[in-house]
Formats: sequence, structure tokens, C-alpha cells
Amino acid sequence: MEIDHRVENEILIFAIKGRLDAATSPVAEETIKKTMAENTSRLLFDLSALEYLSSGGLRVILSAAKEIRNREGKVALAALAPYVYEIFEVSGFTAMIPIKNTVEEALQDLAS
Amino acid sequence: MHSHEYSFELRNDLSELETLSQHLNKFGEGTSLSEASITDVNICLDELFTNIISYGFKDNLEHITQFHLHLNDNELTVIIEDEGVAFNPLKKKDPDIPADLKDVKIGGLGIHIVRKLMDDIHYERKDGKNKLTLKKMV
Repeated sequence: MEIDHRVENEILIFAIKGRLDAATSPVAEETIKKTMAENTSRLLFDLSALEYLSSGGLRVILSAAKEIRNREGKVALAALAPYVYEIFEVSGFTAMIPIKNTVEEALQDLAS
Repeated sequence: MHSHEYSFELRNDLSELETLSQHLNKFGEGTSLSEASITDVNICLDELFTNIISYGFKDNLEHITQFHLHLNDNELTVIIEDEGVAFNPLKKKDPDIPADLKDVKIGGLGIHIVRKLMDDIHYERKDGKNKLTLKKMV
């Protein structure tokens, strides 16, 4: 698992690569907590290179999304592989977080 | 009738989750199962095995969990046996999924995912072991 971040137009973008499971999610969680500033209000997860997601990883993404939502901010997910999408879907979260096909679409959505 | 069997063992260490995926891919290669079915099974076994190693053992010793897969035509059966404390994951209540992210309680999602992706789950405590039998039409 690798997690990178960058900021574009005041949107914090995390790109997660590889396997996000119970073994790797503590590192991702730590990185996200350290990187998210107190005033971060727009957050995007670029999941185009995420190969595997289990509930341990799902929790990490959801708690970051929840934190932003509590600040009345905006969150989006982009470029999910079909089986990554499936995990969000069976858990009931596709109705709660905007999911876009591409990073560009998600950035447009968050900028509006 | 097509039948295919595959067995493996994992140690109680989270690094074994990657080994689990490798075993399932190897199992999948010997069958006509789709990648999507293999991924579904992988995630379910991941969730259950993560529970076992997180809550099953009170000591710091090495413990082995056994997996046995049996594909019979389009019915896949998986048996998971561990020597941890008696634990029936089916007794865990499904989390209520609220309509808004703000109200989400982050936890209990693993077994919820297993229930959604598998067609049948059966638990029994036998000879000091937890035995879970999962079935999925593939």
C-alpha cells in the first residue's frame, strides 16, 4: 500500500495504491490524520490504483469522509475498480458519498 | 460434474492477508471461476480471518487457521477452522446503515459484507475449534 497526497485548488487529494486491508490501513489512517489540516474542507480520494479493499480500509476512508462532513465540507471518491465499488455498495455508502468515474470529474464536482 | 478442492493454512498474523489472496488466485486459476467471484470470496475470508486473529487468541503464540475450499459445479463451499476462543460471528448484529454519513458508526462492517456476499453461513463449535461453513453459488 502506498498513499500520496497533493493539493489542487484547495482540494486535498489522497491517492491510495495497492492493498488497503487490516494490515495496511493503520499506516493509511495515520497519514490521513497527519495530512488533513484543521481547515481542510474539500477532500478527494483517487482510488484508480487501489487493487484491494476490505472493511479495515473502508473504515479509514469513511472516518476521513465523516470528519469532513462534520465540518460541513465536501468529499468525493474517484476512479473505483468494480470490486472496490462493490464494497462501498454492499455497505450502503454509495448513496452517501459522491462517486465519480474520473479524478477530473470529482475535482469539478468538489470545486462547485 | 466438475469438482475442485483446495486447502491451505495461515498463521495468526495480518501479513497473512496477502498470502490469503495469493492462495485464492491460485485456486481460481484451476477453475472456471470469474475474477469477480474470487474477489468476493477473498474479501469474505479476509474479514473472517481478520476477526479471528484480532479477537481469537489471548496469548502471543503462533496459531494456525485452516481453510478448505470445495467447488462442486457452481456451488462453492468454504470451511474455516480456528482454535481461538469460541466466537460466532453470526451473533454480531448487523450495523444499521443510516442515510447520512454524519450518523455512521464506523464498525461491524466486515460481517455485514460477508452476509451480503455469501449465500449461506453456518457456525459450529466442535472439538475446541470454531468451524464456519460458507456457501456461495458462483
